[in-house]
Amino acid sequence: MSRPSAPPHPSSPIDQWPDARGYFGEFGGQFVPEILRPALTELETTFNRLRTDPDFEQEFRQELRTYAGRPTPLYFARNLTRYYGKARIYLKREDLLHTGAHKINNTIGQILLARAMGKQRIIAETGAGQHGVATATVAARFGMDCCIYMGAEDMERQFPNVQRMRMLGAKVRAVHSGTRTLKDATSEALRDWLTHVATTHYIIGSVVGPHPFPLIVRYFQKVIGEEVQEQLKALGHPSPSFLIACVGGGSNAMGLFYPFLSSPDVQMIGVEAGGLGVHTPHHAATLSRGRPGIFHGMKTYLLQTADGQIQLPHSISAGLDYPGVGPEHSFLKEQKRVTYTQVTDQEALQAAFRLARLEGIIPALESAHALAYLDRLLPTTHPDQIVVVNLSGRGDKDMSTYIQYLENQGGEKAP
Amino acid sequence: MSQRLQQRLRHLEAEERQALSLYLMAGYPTIEATVQIIPLLEQAGVDFVELGIPFSDPIADGPVIQMAANQALQNGVTVQRVLEMVATIRQRHSIPILLMGYTNPVYQFGMERFVRTCQDLQVDGIILPDLPLEESLHYLPFFQKHQLDFIHLIAPNTPDSRIQLIDRHTTAFIYCTAYTGVTGKDHRLTPEGEQFFRRLNRLVTHPVMIGFGVKTHQDFQYYGQFARGVIIGTAFLKFLANLDPAAYATAIPAFVRSIRKGENSPEGK
Repeated sequence: MSRPSAPPHPSSPIDQWPDARGYFGEFGGQFVPEILRPALTELETTFNRLRTDPDFEQEFRQELRTYAGRPTPLYFARNLTRYYGKARIYLKREDLLHTGAHKINNTIGQILLARAMGKQRIIAETGAGQHGVATATVAARFGMDCCIYMGAEDMERQFPNVQRMRMLGAKVRAVHSGTRTLKDATSEALRDWLTHVATTHYIIGSVVGPHPFPLIVRYFQKVIGEEVQEQLKALGHPSPSFLIACVGGGSNAMGLFYPFLSSPDVQMIGVEAGGLGVHTPHHAATLSRGRPGIFHGMKTYLLQTADGQIQLPHSISAGLDYPGVGPEHSFLKEQKRVTYTQVTDQEALQAAFRLARLEGIIPALESAHALAYLDRLLPTTHPDQIVVVNLSGRGDKDMSTYIQYLENQGGEKAP
Repeated sequence: MSQRLQQRLRHLEAEERQALSLYLMAGYPTIEATVQIIPLLEQAGVDFVELGIPFSDPIADGPVIQMAANQALQNGVTVQRVLEMVATIRQRHSIPILLMGYTNPVYQFGMERFVRTCQDLQVDGIILPDLPLEESLHYLPFFQKHQLDFIHLIAPNTPDSRIQLIDRHTTAFIYCTAYTGVTGKDHRLTPEGEQFFRRLNRLVTHPVMIGFGVKTHQDFQYYGQFARGVIIGTAFLKFLANLDPAAYATAIPAFVRSIRKGENSPEGK
């Protein structure tokens, strides 16, 4: 019963996880059918080789700079700051990236891994369509076949992204099983991978799934937090007081938080989708309301019944509509390093309109959840503090939801 | 390990007979049906049964078993109810029963409590396709303590050294999938696949059962060349889907004969 190598000591520094078995404390692991095992081993070996290869690092950085549009600005939101009259609010503008969200950081990194492994075919799941578009984009750029699984309900909600993926040459497969959303798209992508494992790389879109995916996706997304560190330093600020990010699977949050985990004076808040309210069954607040279980290859917090069946999440935002969460977030919750909270659909919509009207920026509904938390946080802050919100994506894909909200509110004046 | 399952496997080897095992989903099409069907399988000479515990998101399963799991969940099946079905069957029937499902429902029930209850109910083994060797190591001592076999899976893409490692942790038999993919696909073994199965027998010390996509008498004979026997799931569930419960007593033994002997199957084919 030997283990590949000793896990880090339980008191290991908080940013030194996962251990060799892919665990963050008691969360993570590799709960997959044996068929996937060789692919995960190959992926881990390739990743470990390339992460120390200067040529790989250089190519990744170059793609991020010249193709994705990095670094993204750290924008001082003067009007939003004035609105609250407390801490200074900065927005990390991941919405300005090619394809409109942070997802492209990860898909560039993973397609380079796929190429190194000699894979010709790429699959991915998508909820809001942002990861699907980012995957279809890099598959086109690197000349690979691409198939995206998307819940039939999400295809309706995010139709412009379906059209984008098709224009980019990807096949979009509608998933009609279960709740017809992100969880079912992920299950169907895993079934595809089981079937075509020798030729296909599965680009998981968040810090979820079996080891080494949570590690790999964090590695490619941590550029967000690293840039924030440099940008604040350049502005003469040693460190922020608060970092805020929305959490569905949790990749944009992990990307922002990770470089700051060992800085004890930085407080971090992950905002989950409260849907119609966490006292109703209609939410996706996995960390606030779920409990640990095993799903999609990982041990993590899950929304589930007493009998361990996975529950139907609800969020107005298709990208947060997932009943699990990255295992590292489960770990950071239990370690009390990150505070996890939630805002409702309604609060997120209001925050989106506030940003649009005050700063001239239309955020993605996912990112609007992070913005909505400012309402609760800012009154407790001081003017000499700094708050950084990860504006993980732009709102073009959500226009039909926003317009409907506007009409319900009675036209242009509202809210 | 389960004495009964050991004995059955030893007999099969001594008689040089191929094992036939059927998979059914607990509570599909109804809870009553499950309790009725398993005794019929015993009478028809099925060597052992896999009884599925339904899960909302069965990632290793094709559409037929997904549908059966949904139906079972709608019928109110829980881990507790599956164990109750076993208890009812065990009042009069001793056919080896292996419970097969996904890890989370069992984990929520409590792994040790589950294993203890299984021993009390004379369940013979457990198959959890999403609990691979490394993740199972923590639990294997419970299984040993409660004389329950934990069945590990392998696939045609499993490296030889890993097959041998899994063999060392095996107590009853190894479940080998006929291909890489989900349950219930149409599949014909390729020359590479045949090579794998021939090699497999030299690698392992325990019997091998082949499942996934095994549907017919021809499959039964074909895979029988390479393994102790086969497991048939999707084809049996499809057969049950169209079957009037009043016909179970005649149709189910006929289905078993059709697989073993190639006799014409009754309706549902």
